[in-house]
Amino acid sequence: MKNKVLMAILAVVIAGLIAVPWIASYFYVFIFTEILVLGLFAASFNLIFGYTGMLSFGHAAFFGIGSYATALVLIHLQWSFLACLLVSMGASALLALVIGFLSVRLNEVYFAMLTLAFGMMVFAIAYQWRSLTNGSDGLAGFTLGSFGLGLDLTLGNPLVYYHVVLGIVVIASIVLYLICRSSFGMILKAIRQNPERVSFAGLNVRTYRLVAFIIAGTFAGLAGGLMAPFLRVASPELLHWSMSAEPILMAILGGTGYFLGPFIGSAAFVLLETWITTYTESWMLVLGIILAMMVIFFRKGLLGTAIDWWMEVKK
Amino acid sequence: MKKTHIKNFLVAMTATAALGTASTGYAEDPIRIGGLYILSGSAATYGEFAQKGIDLAVDEINDSGGILGRQIEMIYEDTQGKASVAIQAARKLVYSEGADALVGLDSSGVAQGMVPTMPELQKPLIITHAATPDVTGKLCNPFTYRISVNVAQNMKAAAMVAAETDATNWTTIGPDYAFGHQSWEFFGNYLKEINPDVNLMSETNFPRFGAEDFTPFIDRVMDSDAEGVLISVWGGDLVNFIRQANNRGFFEQDLELMFTVGAATEVLTALGDEMPEGVHLSTRYWYEAYDNDINDRFVKSYIDAYGNPPSYNAEGAYAAIYAYKQAMEAAGNTDGPAVAKALSGMSMEAPNGTVTFRKGDNQAMVSPNWGISGPMHAEHGIRTLTSLQIFDGEKVARTIDETGCKL
Repeated sequence: MKNKVLMAILAVVIAGLIAVPWIASYFYVFIFTEILVLGLFAASFNLIFGYTGMLSFGHAAFFGIGSYATALVLIHLQWSFLACLLVSMGASALLALVIGFLSVRLNEVYFAMLTLAFGMMVFAIAYQWRSLTNGSDGLAGFTLGSFGLGLDLTLGNPLVYYHVVLGIVVIASIVLYLICRSSFGMILKAIRQNPERVSFAGLNVRTYRLVAFIIAGTFAGLAGGLMAPFLRVASPELLHWSMSAEPILMAILGGTGYFLGPFIGSAAFVLLETWITTYTESWMLVLGIILAMMVIFFRKGLLGTAIDWWMEVKK
Repeated sequence: MKKTHIKNFLVAMTATAALGTASTGYAEDPIRIGGLYILSGSAATYGEFAQKGIDLAVDEINDSGGILGRQIEMIYEDTQGKASVAIQAARKLVYSEGADALVGLDSSGVAQGMVPTMPELQKPLIITHAATPDVTGKLCNPFTYRISVNVAQNMKAAAMVAAETDATNWTTIGPDYAFGHQSWEFFGNYLKEINPDVNLMSETNFPRFGAEDFTPFIDRVMDSDAEGVLISVWGGDLVNFIRQANNRGFFEQDLELMFTVGAATEVLTALGDEMPEGVHLSTRYWYEAYDNDINDRFVKSYIDAYGNPPSYNAEGAYAAIYAYKQAMEAAGNTDGPAVAKALSGMSMEAPNGTVTFRKGDNQAMVSPNWGISGPMHAEHGIRTLTSLQIFDGEKVARTIDETGCKL
């Protein structure tokens, strides 16, 4: 019964998202594009954070590499959009393999510090390799070509781009969700709760952590590949450690214990930023207060708290 | 929590929907102009000076009946000096706040990212500060104009000044982004053209924009064979740079120093007599360089209002509002494409003389100013400029073929 209600709510939300261009003002098309892309970024992060219990401070490296890969392919090769996204995912998967191989052997704060260090290294490379990445200015001025698969879509039109992003994010989320629900996902959860026990059961914890890290990196790369054509620029800020903090904040804000939590967190984050910056430049102060309140009083995040409340009332 | 969210969302949605319709609506509604400047961080004074110039122009225009009988309303957004932030802010200004036109941009890096998106917005943008040649060159489009001097114009003038000195070994200290690199590239090319004997050193210095510590770069230049240095560090960075260079004895060395944006009054005011005498300083507009009624009035009302002389950034921003007034009156409406079209080839009177937006690349033909820092100004508390040279904006500009712009 409850599952049916949840499914119905989800269907209504997706229908609402499809209808955004017709029910909200034009500006919200941009806002919701950003929410979806950052939501996918945060959801990919939550696979290693919420499910596997690894706090990475370098997740923006994969997001940024995805952005740069798409931008570079669009500038130099003008491949179709889908091909760009595949390149983004491939590049970030490869990077995640390298960084993950060196990082997953460590735990907790050491893992966090190591991922932070690798993230900053990638940032430094993008910042200094002017001939390839155009340094601190980033890559801009690329045009969007065809979508691929023979579909005739004008990606330069923000409305079209929004629906493309919505479609890709929904498909990617379903795939990510199936991974989380699979036996593989169950083992990740078990690793978070008790890695020794999983290890005693004869499973190689490090391999599972590495595979989770690569999957998360790949989906972050996909999100990055969607971000560059939206922003029309791939700049080093997308790789900066402060960008790595965003999925952490979003996951905590929305709730790390639920698959859709990071999406709710992304929506709250972007909408609050948009509304608050209209009144004051210091929106980070407001966000800080909200986050502190969340962590102290609503540890399960917006979604977790809402579901708990609903379960309580409708018992 | 959840409930108020939805409520806020609905309120915001209705409000933005209402604004959306208002912008295309009635004559008595104000004309909205969106301003995109750096309003936080080490270069924030530039955004503030631009706002001061704009406020002055808006007050003057509104007091004398507005544009097409409508008042002007300014809405500002902070670009934070980042292209991605600026692009989002421009979308917000146009689609959410109903801006009819845009002015602004301090950073070349931001301009390179944002300018290619202007045709989508279908609103004109007048750049009042960012100097990268590309936006009125290979990235040009029918919606983007620039009222301020660009790097190519200023560096051609710089090369002419440099060619008069005895220095043959030249190097640079500039911010590590488009502006610093392009300044050196254009300066070097023009200087080589005038004087093929000069040596452009391969050791160049590009500190990060916003770097606090410039001493390693200062020391490196002092230890080298450089005889001339092109310094394109600007804003708060330049203030820090000069103070650190004073401590290092940089100015006691026998070097020809050329500060490409050194005569910005933001910087001169902050430094006072810490700015050394006898160095070459440039600016896109020097308030004492132009003898005309508009400039006299502008300088007087600016000093009356804010207590210090106007900077080039204030002047560019001030003139841009008047450019929109003239273009909107010529177009007869505030329709984006129509106003953009009216700007093309338009001539106007500004504090720095007659300004023409050249057909072909949309770059205004405005004059770079170069001078040598002199004694302190008795009233304004800043260095004066001696041996002032006002270069002809058209003569120092690239030809349209050279810009690579195809409109």
